[in-house]
Amino acid sequence: MKWLEKYKVDLPNLNKESDYPEWAISMTSTLLNRTGSWRTFRPVYENKTPPCSYRCPVHEKIPIYCDYLKRGMIKEAYFTIIENNPFPAITGRVCYHPCELECNRKDYDETLSIHNIERYIGDWGLKQVSVKELRKQSAEKSKGSQQKLKIAIIGSGPAGMTAAFYLACEGHTVTVYERQAKLGGLLRYGIPAYRLPKKILDNEINRLKLLGVNFQTGVSLGKDITLSMLKEKFDYVIIAYGAHKNRALGVPGDDAIGVLSGLEFLAQVNSGRKPKLGKRVLIIGGGNTAIDAARVALRLKRKPVILYRRSRNEMPANPQEVSDCEKEGIKIEFLVAPVKVVTNKKGKVVGLEVVKMKLGKPDASGRRAPVPIPNSNYIINCDTIITAIGEQVDLSIIPDELEKTSWGIAAGEDGQTNLDRVYAIGDCVSGPKTVTEAIAMGRKAAMNIMNKNDVQVFSPYIVKISDLNLSYFSHQPQTKAKELSLSARKGSFKEIHLGFSENESIKEAERCFSCGVCNKCDNCYVFCPDLAVIRDNYEYEIDYDFCKGCGVCAYECPRKAITMIEDSQIIEDNSKE
Amino acid sequence: MNIKMESRNFTIPEKEYMFPGHVACPGCGGALAMRLVLKALGEKTIVVIPACCWTIIDGPFPMHSLHVPVYHTAFETAAVAASGIKAALEIQGKKDITVLAWAGDGGTLDIGIQSLSGVAERNDDIIYACYDNEAYMNTGIQRSSATPKGAWTTTTPVGNPKGEPKKNISEIMISHRIPYVATATLAYPDDLINKFRKAQQIKGTKFIHIFAPCPTGWKMAPELMITICRLAVLTNIFPLYECENGVKYTINIVPEKPIPVREYLKLQGRFSHLQEKDIEQIQKTVDFEFNLLLKKAQLIV
Ligand SMILES: Cc1cc2nc3c(=O)[nH]c(=O)nc-3n(C[C@H](O)[C@H](O)[C@H](O)COP(=O)(O)OP(=O)(O)OC[C@H]3O[C@@H](n4cnc5c(N)ncnc54)[C@H](O)[C@@H]3O)c2cc1C
Ligand SMILES: Cc1ncc(C[n+]2csc(CCOP(=O)(O)OP(=O)(O)O)c2C)c(N)n1
Ligand code: SF4
Ligand code: SF4
Ligand code: SF4
Ligand SMILES: [Mg+2]
Repeated sequence: MKWLEKYKVDLPNLNKESDYPEWAISMTSTLLNRTGSWRTFRPVYENKTPPCSYRCPVHEKIPIYCDYLKRGMIKEAYFTIIENNPFPAITGRVCYHPCELECNRKDYDETLSIHNIERYIGDWGLKQVSVKELRKQSAEKSKGSQQKLKIAIIGSGPAGMTAAFYLACEGHTVTVYERQAKLGGLLRYGIPAYRLPKKILDNEINRLKLLGVNFQTGVSLGKDITLSMLKEKFDYVIIAYGAHKNRALGVPGDDAIGVLSGLEFLAQVNSGRKPKLGKRVLIIGGGNTAIDAARVALRLKRKPVILYRRSRNEMPANPQEVSDCEKEGIKIEFLVAPVKVVTNKKGKVVGLEVVKMKLGKPDASGRRAPVPIPNSNYIINCDTIITAIGEQVDLSIIPDELEKTSWGIAAGEDGQTNLDRVYAIGDCVSGPKTVTEAIAMGRKAAMNIMNKNDVQVFSPYIVKISDLNLSYFSHQPQTKAKELSLSARKGSFKEIHLGFSENESIKEAERCFSCGVCNKCDNCYVFCPDLAVIRDNYEYEIDYDFCKGCGVCAYECPRKAITMIEDSQIIEDNSKE
Repeated sequence: MNIKMESRNFTIPEKEYMFPGHVACPGCGGALAMRLVLKALGEKTIVVIPACCWTIIDGPFPMHSLHVPVYHTAFETAAVAASGIKAALEIQGKKDITVLAWAGDGGTLDIGIQSLSGVAERNDDIIYACYDNEAYMNTGIQRSSATPKGAWTTTTPVGNPKGEPKKNISEIMISHRIPYVATATLAYPDDLINKFRKAQQIKGTKFIHIFAPCPTGWKMAPELMITICRLAVLTNIFPLYECENGVKYTINIVPEKPIPVREYLKLQGRFSHLQEKDIEQIQKTVDFEFNLLLKKAQLIV
């Protein structure tokens, strides 16, 4: 409570001489002096955006859940995450965590291991938070009763799962149509179990079922159902069928026996089948599909070699995955491109003719284009060739009237297409991207359909390390998560990265600077010489009747959660209103 | 589960014994010092204030900014007025009231030193706190014997800055062999509060020297007030230490890698005229003094 709300102050009656005390003794307090009138600048509490949240495709409120975690409030931490991202157990494992690239802590000692914290909280929530609680939490958040909608979603990858989650939490009727026999999209058929155990995915999907999502598997858009059919039956249709069309090598012999598509190969292994593989396996490509295909082949006891036509710098695959892959003993040959598949009389692969490349001028993607070196061709003997040079969106299965871009379906930020009541999200819009980007699009579309505001970053201001008062932090190395040993990985699809224990995740969360986000450290309250920072339990407020605007609070805030604003600015703004 | 509801940096007591609306300058170290010290000592405290900024900060008649009684006294009499009040309380059998003499550096190191020395010699049961802003601030920034060598004040202008080193009042008080002498500053509020609480439990004369920046007199940005306190400690310019019974030294913070004094000096206009060689000289003195203190802390008695 502000001072003048708590105390009544009156000027004592001092009209005549006899009103005065015999000696100079005080009769009232200095609350009579509104020293706030001295001020030219005023402190204002204003959370700002940490670079990690800004960079995170779903803008997770990382410092907030770190803070909850270290206070022992893991349930609050979990609900904080799922406001932005319903599947932290999944993203904690497979998201390439761009947040960590931007973490301010990297310029101090080491970046925060955000994904391991997220994963710990996600695993906890998956086990401990009931569907009832999920429902209750979203009911509390959504105001008033909304008309219940019927929504069809095509595709059960992370984009479709996310839209289904948010819609079902609020009681809308959701039906997901999936071409495959099982659910999860590339989370199931693309990403191998050593990075995302099927059990985690199954549990998430199970929870969607408990939330009331109706799944129809083995149903294909363009074959079993059409967009116009769905538009008739449902209030909204969300298209989320991904980018699965394999690009052929485009060299003679690329349809020979023994040439496989990377996605198909992974899908077969991921659904428990054993694809026919020769002894010597060549993988062509430099993306994540190539890397995973090679690592899967290794686990099937083959000796895979990856060929990439540019150099390491240009590889689209995630550098962490590339380094994991090489650690496991897989060789990557750079600057070689296929020229021709060599076959025997039966039309079976026996080798690949390649040409050496060098890097030329930057191409449209900004990367240096590979140029063949004349007369440098040679043949690599092999039995199987796995092609992983990129996936495309199959645009043949959607009607002409749906607008398209040169790489996918055209949709706005909120997922709306040019057709009324039709949304499109995920890889089928963006072309092959990432799980977390698909989740972001799924959430945006769901919010738009429900006419709700989407989650926001804290403010347009992104906190830099130079904004922090580093006196309040000490150096502390990053907590390292355990990993499966290289020998234990041989021939096994067991999960490689083992995540944090409870203590490890709390220890790591304690390293977070909480850039730009007040975590109630008390500095502003402790250091104010004018008692103008009012602390009520866990809330802080400036008492502008008395704040002299010295700026000590803002300067000593370790995390720039207080801004000094010119008072005249505020007076001007008020008079405009 | 390791339940930790608090992520606060400090554990200072909740209750306030001071009102806002006091008339200290923005960012006044002396004002914050009083706020924190009263949090440590609590309600049963009587404060004795001689002429100094705090005479004014407390408020002109009929106002008063503290929740505890204040006795205003003459410039040179803080210590002796406090011991007089303590004696009067004892005669009345009121044994649980702490009497705090609260004086500036001028009122302590210069004009008040004789009465302070007398009180210490008799070991009268008071706490004497000197909030040191290194000049006579209330009358317009005149040099005192606490002004550091090289500093500008209105009586030591830039052409002729102060030539003498700062008087070491804590050592003078330690030489009186009183039960407790300590230094404290505002960037370390828990340490400051602990020292006052400790002093409150000890019978006899206790002297606590508080480093309390004056943004106005030091020609510095007021928002730097706490940072300057921290730098004073981390450069070893103002080491935090305690001494019991005149012999047992404890240094509370020994910086692993002391920050060069330049970082401290450059933030304050009162040092802006210093040349490189002056700064080097100051660094040497600071290193020498801190080494001496380290040696004293190694004394085994
Ligand atoms: C091998 C591999 C590894 C990857 N690893 C990572 C990683 O570690 N981290 C990361 O962030 N990203 C990774 N990605 C990318 C990521 O998987 C995708 O960006 C993401 O899954 C896209 O989600 P989505 O929901 O848009 O599409 P998908 O996950 O592709 O889901 C689309 C779903 O739609 C179904 N479908 C397709 N056509 C039809 C139809 N006609 N009718 C009905 N249903 C249909 C599909 O069967 C599928 O289930 C990887 C991709 C691959 C290929
Ligand atoms: C005997 C006497 N001489 C001079 C003064 C004028 N005077 C009042 S306050 C003050 C300066 C006090 O300086 P210091 O003790 O350092 O406290 P500060 O004002 O810096 O807080 C002076 C000289 C006085 N009140 N009494
Ligand atoms: S320290 Fe914490 S809040 Fe700051 S960027 Fe890193 S994870 Fe985000
Ligand atoms: S420290 Fe106190 S007086 Fe100074 S700006 Fe902050 S609230 Fe205002
Ligand atoms: S100083 Fe601490 S409590 Fe105050 S705003 Fe900053 S983070 Fe929050
Ligand atoms: Mg002074």
